[in-house]
Amino acid sequence: MSEHSWLESAGAYALGALAGEERSEFQAHLASCATCRAEVQSLREVTALLAYAAPGEVPPPALRDRVLAEARRVRPIGAARRPGAPVRWIPWLAAAAALVIAVGAERRARLAGARADTLAAQLADRDSLIAGLTGPEVHVVSLAGTGRDPSARVFWNHRLQRFVVMAFDLPAAPSGRTYQLWALAKDKAPASMGTFNTNAHGQAYLVIPVDSSVIQLGFLDKCAVTQEPAGGSPQPTETPRLVGTWVHTD
Amino acid sequence: MPDRPAGGITPDRVLVERMAAGDERALGELYDHHGGTAYAVAVTIVGERADAEEVVADVFGQMWRTAEQFDPSRGSVVAWLAAITRTRALDLLRARGRRARTIERAASMSDEGLAAPIAAAGNAPDRGPELDEARRLVRRSLAELPAPQRRVIELAYFGGLSQSEIAAELQEPLGTVKTRMRAGLEKLRASLGPLLEGAA
Repeated sequence: MSEHSWLESAGAYALGALAGEERSEFQAHLASCATCRAEVQSLREVTALLAYAAPGEVPPPALRDRVLAEARRVRPIGAARRPGAPVRWIPWLAAAAALVIAVGAERRARLAGARADTLAAQLADRDSLIAGLTGPEVHVVSLAGTGRDPSARVFWNHRLQRFVVMAFDLPAAPSGRTYQLWALAKDKAPASMGTFNTNAHGQAYLVIPVDSSVIQLGFLDKCAVTQEPAGGSPQPTETPRLVGTWVHTD
Repeated sequence: MPDRPAGGITPDRVLVERMAAGDERALGELYDHHGGTAYAVAVTIVGERADAEEVVADVFGQMWRTAEQFDPSRGSVVAWLAAITRTRALDLLRARGRRARTIERAASMSDEGLAAPIAAAGNAPDRGPELDEARRLVRRSLAELPAPQRRVIELAYFGGLSQSEIAAELQEPLGTVKTRMRAGLEKLRASLGPLLEGAA
């Protein structure tokens, strides 16, 4: 396809109106063409303004409170995050169950102190982790190693719309590389759920808020982990190191 | 959407930076700027107010969680917000097994399109005159497009249809749909210039 024809697809792409092969071919072209990238970005600003054409419905006042309340619940203040990484790290946790008790005690004893902010963030992390692991609506997948020892468990909490990932005995990815978690569904391209790395002990604990690119669990069959270049890949570039099938916890 | 000049309203970009640092008030302010617009888009796509509220709550939740990843060199805050809102709304619609209201209306859509009946619908009171001005300009620009061009753009944006799906829906050749979409977007880019940040 000539350069000119590619540019002609930029508008449809910006509108989300390219599908199937046309879309993936255009995406592949975008990776190597700054002109088309700039054109897509420019047209995205145009299409974004179409939002103002939607009929002037006024949201109920309670919606603002809901947005703020959910923000308070979901993301701890001052949580350290790796630049560019779509996942948030959870400090080391010995055992989630035991923590419930410890958390209550610490909360009472320490919150008044100068470390209140840090502690509040840690507590929120733990609350967030525990909340993600518990409840009847939680689904779980265990990922076994393919020819190695590492393993991982991924919890999907439908109500909170988040994944909690625990990886064990997975050697830290070398510099310039990262692990990437994939949602796999039949007849669909793997959807990235985010990137992560393990610590010196080969362990990782993280919470991944669900992204719109990850399909509903109803369509989700398997979960897999690959090692990719830093920043992650659009699609897996190697055979998964870990793979598992979703099961219900009930 | 351009960042606001000094004098009262904090630019969106600054709000997102403050959100990344955990400032809830910045999230509240961003909601005050754009909550009404996001809600309007969500209602247009999903058709149900309760569903639209869920979408908007999701959208701002996602922006809150991922504020740190926002890269202003890759687009404006409004483009980011609009993209998330549209994706979330269309996802929810698919999960519910419904079609967008826009598609249902496509068959009976008059030449007025989506933009016309809106003018009288009243403005959400979330950002005063500047927002009103943006809405007026966008609606007028859409209304000035030839109806067939406006229709394919609305079906893609609010209906989530691909070009081939639009061609099937309207029973027009694919090439015609492509040409209309391209021409319509070019006209919009020209007429919406005043709202576009750093527009060429």
